[in-house]
Amino acid sequence: MMAVKKIKTIYDVLCPFCGTLCDDLEVDIAENKVVEVRNACQIGTKKFFSSNPSEHRYETPMIKKNGKLERASWEEAIDKAADILANAKRSLLYGFSSTECEAQSKGVELAEILGGVLDNTASVCHGPTLLAKQDVGQPGATLGEFKNRADLVIFWGSNPVHAHPRHLSRYSEFVRGYFRKDGRNDRFIVVIDPRNTHTAQIADLYIQVNPSEDYELLNAIRAVLRGVELDEKEVSGVSMEKIKELVNTLKTCNYGVIFFGMGLTQSLSHHRNIDAAICLTRELNDHTKFSIIPMRGHYNVAGANQVFTWNTGYAYSIDFSRGYARYNPGEFSSVEVLLKDQVDASLIVASDPASNFPAASVINLFKHPLIVIDPHESPTTVYADIVLPAAIAGIEAEGTAYRMDNVPLRLRKVKDAPGECLTDKEILEKLIEKVKEKRGE
Amino acid sequence: MAEIKLKLKKETEIPLEAESITPDKFAGKSNDEIKKLAVYYGREELTIGDFFNVSGKSEEKDDLTIIINGDVSNVKRIGEKMTAGEIIINGDVGMHVGNEMSGGKITVNGNADDWAGAMLKGGELEITGDAGNYVGAAYRGYWQGMKNGIIKVKGKVGVESMLWANGSVPAKRFPTLICGSAGSFLGIHNHGSTIIVEGDVDRCAGADQVKGIIVIKGKVSRLLPSYKKIGEVKEIELFNGEKITGKFIEYAGDHSVKKNHSVVSKKTGELNKSVNGRLFIAA
Amino acid sequence: MSINNLILLTGRTIDQGVALEGGKTTKENVRAAAICAFDTDDFKKLDTLVGTPVKIITDHGEVIVYSTLSEEGPHPGIIFIPMGPWANQVVNPDSQSCGTPTYKGMKAKVEVVKSGKVLDALDLIKTLKEA
Repeated sequence: MMAVKKIKTIYDVLCPFCGTLCDDLEVDIAENKVVEVRNACQIGTKKFFSSNPSEHRYETPMIKKNGKLERASWEEAIDKAADILANAKRSLLYGFSSTECEAQSKGVELAEILGGVLDNTASVCHGPTLLAKQDVGQPGATLGEFKNRADLVIFWGSNPVHAHPRHLSRYSEFVRGYFRKDGRNDRFIVVIDPRNTHTAQIADLYIQVNPSEDYELLNAIRAVLRGVELDEKEVSGVSMEKIKELVNTLKTCNYGVIFFGMGLTQSLSHHRNIDAAICLTRELNDHTKFSIIPMRGHYNVAGANQVFTWNTGYAYSIDFSRGYARYNPGEFSSVEVLLKDQVDASLIVASDPASNFPAASVINLFKHPLIVIDPHESPTTVYADIVLPAAIAGIEAEGTAYRMDNVPLRLRKVKDAPGECLTDKEILEKLIEKVKEKRGE
Repeated sequence: MAEIKLKLKKETEIPLEAESITPDKFAGKSNDEIKKLAVYYGREELTIGDFFNVSGKSEEKDDLTIIINGDVSNVKRIGEKMTAGEIIINGDVGMHVGNEMSGGKITVNGNADDWAGAMLKGGELEITGDAGNYVGAAYRGYWQGMKNGIIKVKGKVGVESMLWANGSVPAKRFPTLICGSAGSFLGIHNHGSTIIVEGDVDRCAGADQVKGIIVIKGKVSRLLPSYKKIGEVKEIELFNGEKITGKFIEYAGDHSVKKNHSVVSKKTGELNKSVNGRLFIAA
Repeated sequence: MSINNLILLTGRTIDQGVALEGGKTTKENVRAAAICAFDTDDFKKLDTLVGTPVKIITDHGEVIVYSTLSEEGPHPGIIFIPMGPWANQVVNPDSQSCGTPTYKGMKAKVEVVKSGKVLDALDLIKTLKEA
């Protein structure tokens, strides 16, 4: 008779992939391996399965010897890493968005001790949103509010079908809400994008805007909303007639929300696009109820911003070299300090800058000692000097994560990490202890 | 007039922060005392003497000129918060040159990096080459930036120059930028500054402007839709009373901003200029 | 054949997201992220078969990727490369001092490749290590 594997089902599991932070996953574990995932999107499902042992998963620390990464003990790896960091003139600590809050807090502590630059992935993602928020505020709300109330939903420079796959069915488009009992039929969906994206193709209204000209369109919409008669016939590829129609739609809804993404933050004008979108939202509240929130990319980048802020006063791009926290994106941003070759050692935590940073900055990243804390092989780990294998937060380690609307939720541990992996928090604690020891504290 | 000469004698791989280089800090000190002033290199506190050769004789700050020869493009915060005296830099200079200064003069015979003259309170900053982004701008999180003083850039200024500038006619504060050409978002969130561009500007000039005068003698790549043409003028009166002559088209804006109304005075029936931003483009 | 005066956008796709979770050094990742999607009418100007490697050139660099037809068109004049190491060879690293590179909106030119092939992620990043 064949032995039957004992399957354990864990309910209400959080998905550690994108900022939608779905909290309704069911995961089946057998013999400490993920065997089935229910309710997650394709990407979340893949993430859970990729936690199973494979040739891509690190199970022991690795140190580069003679040009090749070789297995090493934790003692040797931590000692070597602490040596590098303690002696650096200016170190860079980057990543953090794909791990839990207590680990992020340890990252802040380590950066402060090292007197280096501390940054998270908001730097290349929604950093501009934070910059705009600091200038003009942000009228926001939680996803639950939007699910239950919003009858007008606008996706601007955001393509959730691809980047936040379950957002539409859980919060913004198809789901039935308390005041939106008819689900999709109770909502009017607008997509504003240079491409007729898959999200646009299932919307009620698609407005094609010229790439990099969103600011002018927002400017025109704000002016028309205020009753100003403009001299233009067309702005950013959108006819004045369409703009006036859109303004009318905005004014006459019961509860509107703008979800925006990289289309606004990563194109020319960056934070000023968000500035204008926020001011538009604020002004719409003279006519009806309107909110605006960013579609955060990583599942806990919002958490990194929260943790960095309550520890230092600042959300990202922080410099500790003068003995206290200073903030200035553009001066202390990871990509900028790398482009200008202003750091002499890097510690990357739960991130892959070699894949996600512009090539010119990666060239300089590789010029200096590189230490990476990551569960999986990636272009960053392959060229690192030291790899410290991590348990995957949200699968093999518990902790707190903040959703895109800043609601904190508890990540579960559904299985044990393989081999000698430690949690990000434990690894950072070891580094802090060793660095202090080397500095004679 | 006394002079202190500085020359960088060591390579800097990471930026050097040298806010101690001001006439205020150098005034009345011997060269040995000047050499002992602190500079910051990463997380290390070192001295001016570690990085610079120092020669000359110091004096009271009002009569002191500091001359820096050579490329100091990796040295930040030179001239920070100075109140009097002069600094002449014969080379390119790093970020934050002259930030928060309230008096005296800085001349850069070269290019300046970002945030040149940020949060300026007075005095004069002159750059013969190009300047980076955020010239005369507010630092992050501040809603009031440059309050007074004048910045002249012969070449190009980068994006968001004069961000959140805050001038006031009754208080006689006329923050002014004169430049050769400008990147996008010139004068964004302008609250009363004067900007004169001898050449062309990029898009979104005067974005979110509530009050201010922006004069563009060259071309605008694209004027914001929320700016409304008022008419043609032959003369422009600046906030400080000075006049610019020439044929210009006058625009009012930024009408996307809540504070801006095209307020017509009930008494005189004329457009109340102080409640509006103005942008002039050469005709 | 070649096309000038295009605008390059980069960003997420669900395939690229699935592939990167499955292993950034896999063939799946190459198929998901080492591609450039063209507007159907624009692609005809290249006079070549879908899947042919093409070279994307911007002011910031060049990269060879597989050509595909966009399912998110029409968008004449716009090409799209999913985020990742191939896109990052050609995006604008300049952030205009806000810290975030300008990953979208670069002016681009496309040529059908006569010689040269699409590198996998590790070989591509290796060129940066050896720079």
